[in-house]
Amino acid sequence: MFKNDERYWNIHQLNKWFAISSILFMISFVWMFIDDNDDEYKVYQRNFRQLEIQMAEVELAEELETVKNERVSYEEKAQEAQNILNSKKSLADSLEFRLVTLKGIFYRHNMNYQGQKSEIDALKYLVEKDNTHGLDHGEDHSAENRQTFDDANVLLHNYKLKKEATETDIANTELFIKEMNRDVKASTEELNRILADVQLVQNKLEKIDRKHMSFMNKVGDLVRDLPILDFMNPYYKVKQIVVPDIKYNVNFTQVPSVDRCTSCHLGITNPDFAEAEQPFRSHPNLETYLSSASPHPMTEFGCTGCHSGRARGTSFVSAVHMPDSDEEKARWEEEYDWEQMHHWLQPMLPSNYTEASCFKCHQKEAYINDADQLTLGLSLIEKSGCNGCHLIQRYQERRKAGPDLAKVSEKLNKSWTAKWIKSPKEFRHNTRMPHFFGQDNNSSPDMIKRNDTEIMTMVNYLFPNGKEVSTENDHRFMGDAVKGEELFNAVGCRGCHIVEPDEANMSDGISIESILKDHGPNLIGLGSKGSAKWVYNWIKNPSEYWPETRMPDLRLSDQEAKDITAYLRSFTNPDFEAMDDIELDKKQLENIAFGWLSKMNTEAFAKSTLANMSHDEKMDFVADKSFRYYGCFGCHNIPGYEDAKPIGTELTFEGSKPVDKLDFGYIHDIEHVNHAWFRRKLENPRIFDHGKESPAEDKLRMPNFGFSDLEIEALVTAILSLSEDEVSLKMHADQYVSDELVYEGRKLIKEFNCQGCHIIDNFGGQIVDVIGSAEFSPPSLNTQGRKTQPDWLFKFFNGPTTIRPNLQVRMPSFNMTDDQWNSIIRSFQFADDQLLAYETDHSISWGRKIKAGEKLASTDFGACDNCHFYGSTFPIQGAQAWAPNLAMAKDRLRADWIVDWLKDPMVIMPGTKMPAPFLPTTDLFEDDDASNIYGEHLIALDGDTTAMLEGIRDFIWAMKGQKDISNIVKQYFDENGYNFGEEESDEEDEWDDDEW
Amino acid sequence: MLQTFKDIIDILSAPTVSFTLLTIAFPFVFPPTDWFEKIHRKFGICRLWTKPGFYGGMIAITFFFVVGYFDPNFNITLTKADNFPIILMIYSMFIAIWWSMYQAYQNDDRLENGLKPMEYNDPDDKVLVWPDLVYIEFIALILFMVFLIVWSILVAAPLEEPANPAATPNPSKAPWYFLGLQEMLVYFDPWIAGIIFPIFIIIGMMAIPYMDINKKGDGYYSFKERRIGMFIFMYGWVVLWLFLIVIGTFFRGPNWNFFGPFEYWDAHKVVPLNNVNLSEYIWVKMLGTGMPTNILLREIIGFIVLIGYMGILPIILAKSWLKNYFQEIGPVRYTFLMLFGLSMLSLPIKMYMRWLFNLKYIIAIPEWFFNI
Repeated sequence: MFKNDERYWNIHQLNKWFAISSILFMISFVWMFIDDNDDEYKVYQRNFRQLEIQMAEVELAEELETVKNERVSYEEKAQEAQNILNSKKSLADSLEFRLVTLKGIFYRHNMNYQGQKSEIDALKYLVEKDNTHGLDHGEDHSAENRQTFDDANVLLHNYKLKKEATETDIANTELFIKEMNRDVKASTEELNRILADVQLVQNKLEKIDRKHMSFMNKVGDLVRDLPILDFMNPYYKVKQIVVPDIKYNVNFTQVPSVDRCTSCHLGITNPDFAEAEQPFRSHPNLETYLSSASPHPMTEFGCTGCHSGRARGTSFVSAVHMPDSDEEKARWEEEYDWEQMHHWLQPMLPSNYTEASCFKCHQKEAYINDADQLTLGLSLIEKSGCNGCHLIQRYQERRKAGPDLAKVSEKLNKSWTAKWIKSPKEFRHNTRMPHFFGQDNNSSPDMIKRNDTEIMTMVNYLFPNGKEVSTENDHRFMGDAVKGEELFNAVGCRGCHIVEPDEANMSDGISIESILKDHGPNLIGLGSKGSAKWVYNWIKNPSEYWPETRMPDLRLSDQEAKDITAYLRSFTNPDFEAMDDIELDKKQLENIAFGWLSKMNTEAFAKSTLANMSHDEKMDFVADKSFRYYGCFGCHNIPGYEDAKPIGTELTFEGSKPVDKLDFGYIHDIEHVNHAWFRRKLENPRIFDHGKESPAEDKLRMPNFGFSDLEIEALVTAILSLSEDEVSLKMHADQYVSDELVYEGRKLIKEFNCQGCHIIDNFGGQIVDVIGSAEFSPPSLNTQGRKTQPDWLFKFFNGPTTIRPNLQVRMPSFNMTDDQWNSIIRSFQFADDQLLAYETDHSISWGRKIKAGEKLASTDFGACDNCHFYGSTFPIQGAQAWAPNLAMAKDRLRADWIVDWLKDPMVIMPGTKMPAPFLPTTDLFEDDDASNIYGEHLIALDGDTTAMLEGIRDFIWAMKGQKDISNIVKQYFDENGYNFGEEESDEEDEWDDDEW
Repeated sequence: MLQTFKDIIDILSAPTVSFTLLTIAFPFVFPPTDWFEKIHRKFGICRLWTKPGFYGGMIAITFFFVVGYFDPNFNITLTKADNFPIILMIYSMFIAIWWSMYQAYQNDDRLENGLKPMEYNDPDDKVLVWPDLVYIEFIALILFMVFLIVWSILVAAPLEEPANPAATPNPSKAPWYFLGLQEMLVYFDPWIAGIIFPIFIIIGMMAIPYMDINKKGDGYYSFKERRIGMFIFMYGWVVLWLFLIVIGTFFRGPNWNFFGPFEYWDAHKVVPLNNVNLSEYIWVKMLGTGMPTNILLREIIGFIVLIGYMGILPIILAKSWLKNYFQEIGPVRYTFLMLFGLSMLSLPIKMYMRWLFNLKYIIAIPEWFFNI
């Protein structure tokens, strides 16, 4: 039989256990809640709220202080008005009472009226039905219904009258009350206007500061953030921006990024927090980023589109912040327990590399604004020829980075070439030609022998038939070195070249500006290299030796070319000359050939093939293997290798390559992040071979470019920019440029280093440092797009003529195609929003205006002929002040532009010596002899400045005379020489003395 | 001193060594016959199943982990959130096995002395479900909930990034409870190690009550009365399952190479994998000819070995060594017992063939995806 009290266990004991476990459960449950709600971002949000409150309180105090004095009188006035009103209290009260009563009455009448209206609607239906259908179940009620309807309408009308009468009463009473209160209201409004800013801050404080809240709001503020209840509308919550146009790659699919960064970075768009502690500090560049007026508003671009990292992370570590330096890393580990989340494939870009992201949208620009480091990195990729060996789909090489070697035997001798290949920096300390040899993994005696042999085979290939350059007739091509130096510095060579034999004198930093200076090679040691004949021929006509060269023709005379040749040949490099010649080792030649042969064939085959090869065949075979192994054709045109495939890893998406795809080899003292790897690789390209036992054919072979730290940082930024992340097409900057030619033009401008001499897009013109004065330097090309007529510009490019007769520096003749010139012209036009290729000729209005213009240009006023050529007529002043030939203007310039230019030349070309012409104002015409001074036409224009400027323009437009004055000017300087530049400081005074 | 200890452990834990040692030591720990029993008693191994044995075992395990915690290399594997369950598993399995063996030995003594087992409750031999069992279960449930909650608060779930086929982790490890299976994959083709064996394990365990007709030991712990059964089961459970999980967790590093617990997981380590199929042994090495083009002819020896092992060996055993046993349980039970038992035994056999002869597959027909 079942006994209810039967127990085998001590139930009291179990009860105790039950109690203990329940308490433990309760504790763990509470702990879970706390842990679940204690998010890092909430701590930041609480701190931020405190900060906001503090700032608001300070602001409130300030606002109160500002209005402290002002408010007193307004408050008194308001009080006064109130007092007057108070004195009529009994009247006011009775009026109020009346209003209340009236409203009660109105309510009743209105109710009756509305009720009756709905009755009528029903009756109306009956009547209308009778009208159309007639009988109802065979009976005719129409007369009856009509009667009821009419009676009801009468009643409705009564109600309406009563209602309206009460309405009128109410309106009158209200008007009366309002009238009584008018003064009080007006004075209060005035007071409120004064206190508007105070109110604003106060309202804000009421929202965020519990001290300023009403009791109910306080309770609400507390409750809204309680666990579970916080699903509704919590104050502390994850804030996120969904950016549909910027995608995050989740292996198989691209999903919009969801940026939760603002959960902690709460002050990011608010300039008031510029000085605040992180994470509350505002973005350092709100003009360009995040603010709604900027080109990159936060709602469209978010945060991780540029910075990367884990967009959904809401804590310091889970957002995958990445430190900039070891110090920062140590600090983070200390402060935030930072560690890298290895599983996140796109950690945040250290702030130093953030510019890398610009490339996602700005892929076609030659210069990316505000991203100098990235621009520099991309420029270095081109200059160093990285994309010659490493294919980069979105940044393909535009031309080989190094010179054409097809005719190198006319230029150099074998011994020099071999030494150069082995150690180019021994000859030219800053050359971009990298070091393949003498590196970490090929410095053993055996490897040196092997490499020397490879070098000799390659040299042998480059000098077919054993021909090499001789210096026998050099004296015939050498002029005066002193004159040569002057010319070198004056005619424009320095736009692209430097001559700096001493490495110590090189400036430390590299920047997008500094690379304009050494666009071409540093012209040192030419006395130890090649022959004078070659140098002479080269500078006379570069494209004859190398049709694709960027080196332009400066139209040097024979004597000028000889002088410059003498100057350049005066630099020698005795150390380089003294270096031992590179030796070919026959045994090594065998070894190398055998090595390559047996790599692809059986050893027996390799042996027999080798035995059947003549010495020359072996040389050619090893040369071929060496060219293909080192990838020389990546940078140089070498006959026979025109179609050879680049040898390097493709870098198209290198920035997104998972870090485990990078071979760290046996190098362990390195962070396992991609940028650390890139940095180390660029510092020492062979480092990851360290400790490895690889056969000579399998060693790492990327050459050492000797990059400086700055260059490496820039290059790493550029490599990181090559990411796989997708952004919608509409985000690409090129969507806003209608014409592909514009980008092509800008790239050509960069490629041919136009900015070495000219300022274009507010950038460049470094040659002024050499020439000394902007006045005698190549002109700024600001507004070029709307300044010149495109067809004139095209003709000018193809055959430059003298425009600025006082310049010694010459516009070179570039060997460019029509396509290229068109692109350049189009890019100028685009920059100035002037896209028309064909325009109607400007027609001069022959009348008052042109006559007034003539007057203004005359010696009495503008005296244009002081400086400007009028056709072949020389200016009055000396050569130092000469300015362009005005007879050329109608062919060269656009009519609209001339007016803009005359208005204020300094705006268009800062630093120009062209003054704005004097334009008389109407008050001057009141003088007695005004008509004598200004003439009737000018007075008739009645001070209309535009008309006056147009008059001057038309005067210039109508000018006849010789247009191309190149020969006249040349003849003048041939006779008189150029030496006014030295007296320049005196000249300036003369301008200051002028009355304008 | 400590370093020597670590080096020894590293050497001992190599699967060849540790597996061999465990296999050899196993019958002395769970003696299946009188001879083993004698040595078991003589060398005091039986003390493992006493209270001092418990403390000793716990101290040894803890000592191992403590030393591991302070070792820079072992620390990395030991402190991974994924491996926490394995540490718990080692402790809990030791405790559970010790406790059952401890009680079994006590009962064995009682039975020998003519007493009833401890679990025997006179006169009615019953346990109340309510309140006793349900109440205890309920308390256990609550305490376990507390444990899980605290665990989940203290140790964050080891979540990783979305799986990327282009970037697989190295080593790629299965969930901890499947690491034994993954270890089997080293020696067997996936369809055997991944499909046939798991199915056999499940069905085999379900079949145990039907195959084991020994009435002794029902309802109470005992070892002696069913020591062969215990020995076989414990070998399968502890050595072929738990120990393989431990190997998979702590001793398998990058490229699935073996590393001692105190060794650095060097991703560059390369171990040659020159494994040879049985057919290659026969045709190439022994007969010095090429491989026959006919697949079945090529693998004929493998088939013969397989049929011999799974088909003929049980018959021979039934006629000779296991004659009495066969008669006792009948042909159906015997067939199934042999199927499951020989399959289980094939795992260590295959492991040793791999280690000793670099044997890859006994039957290798990659053309049909059929490899054994």
